[in-house]
Amino acid sequence: MFFIQLLSAGIATGSIYALIAIGIVLIYKCSGVVNFAQGAYAMVGAYVTYALTKLGFPALVAVLASMMVLAALGIATERLVLRPMLRAPVVAVMMATLGILIFAKAICLAIWGPDQIAFPKIFPEGSINLGGIFMTYNYVAAGVLSATLCAAFLAFYQFTSLGLMQRCAADNSRAALAIGIHVSNQVSIAWGMSAALAGLGGTLLATLNGLSLGLEAIGLVAFPVIVLGGLTSLGGAFVAGILLGVLEAFTDGLLTPAIEDFLRAYTNVYSVGALQQVVPYALLVLMLLVRPQGIFGRRGTERI
Amino acid sequence: MRGRDTVLVILIALVCAAGSFALSRYMAFLVYSVAIAAIGALALNLLIGYCGQISFAQGALLGVGAYAAGNLGNAGFDFVAILGAGLAGALVSALIGLPAMRLRGLYFAIATLAAQAILEYLFKTVEPITKGISGLTISPLTLFGARIVSDQGYASIAIVILLLTWLFLSWLIRTNLGRAFLVVRESELVAKGMGINVARTKMWAFVISGFIVGVAGALIGFTSRLANPEAFALHLSIDYIAMIIVGGLGSWLGSLIGAIFVVLLPEAIQRLGEWLHVADLVFAMREMAFGILIIVFLIFEPRGLAALGRSLATRFTRPTKIQGKSVG
Repeated sequence: MFFIQLLSAGIATGSIYALIAIGIVLIYKCSGVVNFAQGAYAMVGAYVTYALTKLGFPALVAVLASMMVLAALGIATERLVLRPMLRAPVVAVMMATLGILIFAKAICLAIWGPDQIAFPKIFPEGSINLGGIFMTYNYVAAGVLSATLCAAFLAFYQFTSLGLMQRCAADNSRAALAIGIHVSNQVSIAWGMSAALAGLGGTLLATLNGLSLGLEAIGLVAFPVIVLGGLTSLGGAFVAGILLGVLEAFTDGLLTPAIEDFLRAYTNVYSVGALQQVVPYALLVLMLLVRPQGIFGRRGTERI
Repeated sequence: MRGRDTVLVILIALVCAAGSFALSRYMAFLVYSVAIAAIGALALNLLIGYCGQISFAQGALLGVGAYAAGNLGNAGFDFVAILGAGLAGALVSALIGLPAMRLRGLYFAIATLAAQAILEYLFKTVEPITKGISGLTISPLTLFGARIVSDQGYASIAIVILLLTWLFLSWLIRTNLGRAFLVVRESELVAKGMGINVARTKMWAFVISGFIVGVAGALIGFTSRLANPEAFALHLSIDYIAMIIVGGLGSWLGSLIGAIFVVLLPEAIQRLGEWLHVADLVFAMREMAFGILIIVFLIFEPRGLAALGRSLATRFTRPTKIQGKSVG
């Protein structure tokens, strides 16, 4: 039972990781930029939702409005910061997105302060009992909502005409231009969409863990996810996100206690700390050494 | 750097080192902060700017230096503590560089991100060496039997080490190995074609840069007298990358300018905030200014302040030359 409990909690957080990671992959595919500011979008999204519910808007309106705000923010970043830097070296572009992250964090700090804030209750309180597994509505809603949204987004990317244009622009921007696709608009749309997804992810994460500036750390957790899934594969990011969420839950619930029991019995080491925070990175290093293109990536994509 | 410049740099540094004894404690603090940051930035610039290997593990590597120096210093070792920190830095840096044998560019950058996270975790958990979250208290540096306790003393030591680092690196880049770094940065394929052993070249870049970063970390440890995991988190790595980008990738002078900029900017904003009586907002303002300035610099002068200085210099000198021609 405990096993399934951990599994379901892992899937819930994992699908939020997937939501953030899909945004990073989308931006990378379309504009070749590794966006370190994705965590900032998640954080800002959560704060905007919080501010709107405080103003008295119903939860659903607040969430949707914050996604809109974030989409605008994403497009603004692309137009104002990334477009002037088209010819800059990779490390400079990475640094610019880090600059956005620092700036966004400072703005949130100035407005909302450094303390953790109790997030308004978007979903009803209480928990459901599925044959012995207890899950709070928060977890159920976060998991179901983000998984559905991920799936819907993948379907949109695969089956609609806008999705087709997105794929064209990402695959070969010159050819896309030649057949009449406005590539730079597509890039803006991609930034807007991924910022909106990240904003929702941030809001959902805040319903689980509370609202604080620490939310931006999700942007870094997403990096093991995208490497695991293959940097250019949206489906891969989805699967890897859930995989990593489950892995973290198991490390926290099963592996850490087991290791600590072992260590306490045979050595005088008392604690192994927050092991679940490094497991993704250890896995990342292993993955990079064994199969750099990720589970779903194509060979050769790691050569940039 | 030509012979004349070398003499000039040595003279300036010696004057600074001697003059730092006349400084107030606060000024001495600023001087050693800038000098230590510049040492770290020079090493990172060797790795990123000259050899093209993007690393996000600089903060953790400084931490390795600080912890190594702290433990050696507390055990009563003399200047060996600083050398030991350098060796520890070189060793860990070589380990971080191992994936670079197989990975390139972005993928390697992400691998260093992982190294940073893993090292941070180790700082928190390997308590016999690091004393965990509460941090390791470090006794003052002893140099040839003399305990260095004054900030002025640390300022002059930091300046001397900065000078040595600078001279060493500008000599290094003119050797065969240094030229090989540049070729690896431009194209690994070309490097291979020229008969350069790419893997070995990269490994040297990691070892040399790691040694210098370890020394800088030792100085951070001895001056702050405390090494705790939070001080060596990812934001420190980001600060150093900001330094070399703001100053100029692949420019030694740029590393120094960037270090001055990144260290003094927060201090300046702090003063401004105190003067305007908005002390609560100071931290947020500092970060805001930092973020926005990085972005503005990258958009308008991606080659950094050093390049900006050069282009300004040519702009100011060119008209006089033309004038001279027309008159003559």
